[in-house]
Amino acid sequence: MINGALYRRGMKGSVKLLLILAAVLAMYVVIIVSMYEPEMSKLLDSYVELMPEIMAAVGMTAGATSLMGFLCSYLYGFLLLIFPMLFCILRGNGLVAKYVDDSSMVSLMSAPVRRSTIALTQGAVMVSGTLILTVYITVLEWFSGEYYFPRQLDLGELLQVNAGLFCLHLCLGGICFFASCLFSETKYSLGVGAGLPILMYVFQMMANMGGKAENAKYFTVFTLFQPEKLAAGESGAVVGVLVLLALGIVLYGAAVAVFTRKDLHI
Amino acid sequence: MNVICVEHLTRDYGGGKGVFDATFQVQQGEVFGFLGPNGAGKTTTIRHLMGFLRPQTGACTIAGLDCWRDRARIQAQLGYVPGEISFFDDMTGVEYLKFLERYWNLRGSNRKGELLDYFQLEPKGKIKKMSKGMKQKLGLVAALMHDPDILIFDEPTSGLDPLMQSRFVDLVASEKKKGKTILLSSHMFEEVERTCDRIGIIRGGKMVAVDSVEALRERHLRTYTVTLDSQAQASAFARDFHGTQNGCRVTVTTRQSLEEIFMDYYGGEQA
Repeated sequence: MINGALYRRGMKGSVKLLLILAAVLAMYVVIIVSMYEPEMSKLLDSYVELMPEIMAAVGMTAGATSLMGFLCSYLYGFLLLIFPMLFCILRGNGLVAKYVDDSSMVSLMSAPVRRSTIALTQGAVMVSGTLILTVYITVLEWFSGEYYFPRQLDLGELLQVNAGLFCLHLCLGGICFFASCLFSETKYSLGVGAGLPILMYVFQMMANMGGKAENAKYFTVFTLFQPEKLAAGESGAVVGVLVLLALGIVLYGAAVAVFTRKDLHI
Repeated sequence: MNVICVEHLTRDYGGGKGVFDATFQVQQGEVFGFLGPNGAGKTTTIRHLMGFLRPQTGACTIAGLDCWRDRARIQAQLGYVPGEISFFDDMTGVEYLKFLERYWNLRGSNRKGELLDYFQLEPKGKIKKMSKGMKQKLGLVAALMHDPDILIFDEPTSGLDPLMQSRFVDLVASEKKKGKTILLSSHMFEEVERTCDRIGIIRGGKMVAVDSVEALRERHLRTYTVTLDSQAQASAFARDFHGTQNGCRVTVTTRQSLEEIFMDYYGGEQA
């Protein structure tokens, strides 16, 4: 099902990117968490009042009454969506389409290893990276929360929200991975694999701004991830996450199926 | 017994490009030369044999297994050196071979060391910085490491210097001695002439001739018998012109190379 040597190579290829993202995330998460105090919150909320559209576009709203609500508003609308998405886009393209584009896939194909094994292994590298990032984010939030504001963060709520975050990125990664398996040239793989998630994020921003543009929410998977409602355990939000999970599994499955059947001019 | 079978293989890329109704077989223990100019469809045919492409019509089999459906099983006994080799550029040669050993699950002894010695290769540097010849050698080691029964070489000697080219020819001869089946594609006539038992010539995606090297040569051979004044002269003449001596008579054959034979088939295209 999975080739160990190829999996190790894939994970090794992810390390550098994961470290960079980990450093950037550590900075932002710790800073945002530390800002959950009356003075700073007021400052952030004043930005929201000053430029409500822009702040709303990236999911930031004022008046959070709990640390989790504060994080949902200031982390889960932009930072925690964009950085793991970057991982999905770059690795998605690098794990399959790049090898086909530069023909090094020949080395992998001229061996008694099934195509489905190759695709599943590369998919596993993607999912592992996504999982590592989500776990890392959770740990980061929990410990910086405990450090700055002990006993203010509810672990259950945090886990619920981050399970949702994982499903969202599983779905986004599925899009990138599917594009990588479908196209044989990186320009198309990147074009669709990066273009579609970014376009959907733009739709999400439009929908956040409200008004007529709110209809854009029907054209983006980000709508299905509602951190505040998820923290509150609302069933609608849970269904949204389950849909994301299902979409992710279907996309990864379809990617493997497409790769197994396609012609390779390598 | 036919080990490699290509039967009515067609893949039409449009504009006259592709492979059209190609049929040929390579027998057990045979070295088969697959000759044609660039763009004739050699690599496309080989991609079908490797299971990279699904035939539009027709079929390819190796050792009785379908090249598309059973590709993974076929690869276990197949060694392949592609025409344009590209490895993982970020690795060194040593790392690459180690990766392949683990990827293939080649435990214990294999031919890696022996082959590295044979090609005098020390692949310590980054693959990205290797010369074409180095990469070619690395590709040969990688393809032969698991000691496969069937070998497919796509223009294997391009990039090798003459010394290494003749090393390669020797290698093909010794692999053949072990009873291995070899398909060797080339656009170089000497290479094929020196190594192959039979030759298939492809042009514009169509097989134009499949025959033994001797038969091809004979068909295009001219023989002259010359009578000389003395036996001594005759033997000197025979030595200089590679003729066969019979008393004062010496029979010489024009050493028409495959190149000229090739030109007969390709004449129109080259002009």
